[in-house]
Amino acid sequence: MYVLGVESSCDETSVAVVKDGREVLSNVVLSQIDIHQAYGGVVPEIASREHVKGVSMVFDQAIRQAGLRYEDIGLVAVTNGPGLIGSLLIGVNAAKVVAMNYGIPLLGVHHIAGHIYANNLERPIEFPCLALVVSGGHTELDLMNGHFDFVKLGETQDDAVGEAYDKVGRVLELPYPGGPVVDKLSALGKDVYHFPRPMVDSPDYNFSFSGLKSHVINLHHNMTQRNETIVKEDFCRSFQDAVTDVLCQKTKRAAKEYGVKQVIVAGGVAANRGLRAKMAQTITDVPVYFPAMRYCTDNAAMIAAAGYFKYMKTGVADDLYLNGDSRLALN
Amino acid sequence: MTKSSKTLFVDTATKSVFLALVVDGVLSDQVCREGVNNHSVTILPLLDDLLKRQNLTLKDLTDIVVGIGPGSYTGVRIGVSIAKMIGYLNGIPIRTVSSLALLASSALSGTVVPFIDARRENAFMACFEIQDGVMVRKFDDVLANVEAFKARLSQPYRIVAAGTPDVLKILRSDLLTPVPDIHALVPNYLQVTEAEHNKQAAA
Ligand SMILES: [Zn+2]
Repeated sequence: MYVLGVESSCDETSVAVVKDGREVLSNVVLSQIDIHQAYGGVVPEIASREHVKGVSMVFDQAIRQAGLRYEDIGLVAVTNGPGLIGSLLIGVNAAKVVAMNYGIPLLGVHHIAGHIYANNLERPIEFPCLALVVSGGHTELDLMNGHFDFVKLGETQDDAVGEAYDKVGRVLELPYPGGPVVDKLSALGKDVYHFPRPMVDSPDYNFSFSGLKSHVINLHHNMTQRNETIVKEDFCRSFQDAVTDVLCQKTKRAAKEYGVKQVIVAGGVAANRGLRAKMAQTITDVPVYFPAMRYCTDNAAMIAAAGYFKYMKTGVADDLYLNGDSRLALN
Repeated sequence: MTKSSKTLFVDTATKSVFLALVVDGVLSDQVCREGVNNHSVTILPLLDDLLKRQNLTLKDLTDIVVGIGPGSYTGVRIGVSIAKMIGYLNGIPIRTVSSLALLASSALSGTVVPFIDARRENAFMACFEIQDGVMVRKFDDVLANVEAFKARLSQPYRIVAAGTPDVLKILRSDLLTPVPDIHALVPNYLQVTEAEHNKQAAA
């Protein structure tokens, strides 16, 4: 079955065609990152305006690159949340028009489910499976006992990992988005500040990053006041080591407790090389998988893949009343 | 037999979702439903119902007229996105019309000031003259202080803040603009975003 995936939850307009939840025929991503860079972060109203501007063109490129006609599509899967509401609504309504125009079943897909199923584009997910979802908006551990069966084990109590990265990047006056730059500089620095590892020993699977973020910001402020030389590389490395220690330790403990067959990491921060390396070192008894770099950030191929397995499991489609939900829950 | 024309009207820039179907110059069906922040939910079910009542599908349409604002940002984006997708998928032309013109067309005659509230004593407004079913623009669409705009009007006028558009009046007017490239179509917001405004002010 060919699934047309549609994703517009933040600042990427993306449409993809994926066969049987595995084979990517096309994955067109119209990124607005250059536009939001000038503002140091995503401006929701600008994001919505850009989605309207690009929407029909992205659909056209995706169907052409796949070498198909809309009549060949068996399911339209669209991100219906969570995300920026104004952005979500553009993708949802465009997807509805395609479904209505060709009489194709329509299915709303949770954005995080999409990130998780990005892994399925590489190799089939095996269950039980532990998914660590780390992005600009999310930090959570989910246990999956089968397709589209998510049990949330824990999540961040405050900032998402990606959010903390971007804020630290801003304090260090690194270009937006800060995450990838912090990761890059980390490789050249040392963990000289030994920041706290928040909640690393708490018995649950929750996370907290706002205290750590404040710690980094305060130290930077105090050193600036004292005219001390700031080695950005060391700041980045110290912050990244603290973050990845917590993520890896908690994931390792959950993997053991639930006896999973594999660990998958998903979301934008799954592209972080420091996290990739440390996770591989920390968890050695079960395989740890990451999506290909191009499927870590927001894209519609992952939504199409997730939509396929959701539809195979439930067989139930949504109707034309489908709406975007900025705070949609995964289960 | 020549193919008959079936024109779909779409506007979502006001509190109401507006849809109409004109077949060979005759208004065959329309719906104007007020909603609270739920145009995104209702518009396609309403369109589906309307087409089914007429035994038509989206593929039968020959062209589209879409209200491109000004008005509610989120609202107008829904209508424009839908129009773009229908136009693109079926290879049919789109014409745009001011959402304020659509609103004004609901009035029978006289000097008409369409009004869409924009908060803080501002509104999206314009001015049209309607005479014997013919509608002519007097003032451009603006986002302005309400009292300041009213002060510019020298003759008696009527404010229209709600009403079902008269699409035949619109079709007879010269208020329609063809869209050369559907993919490039964007709403008329009449205002840059706050972020852009602040950035320009700082520069
Ligand atoms: Zn994401």
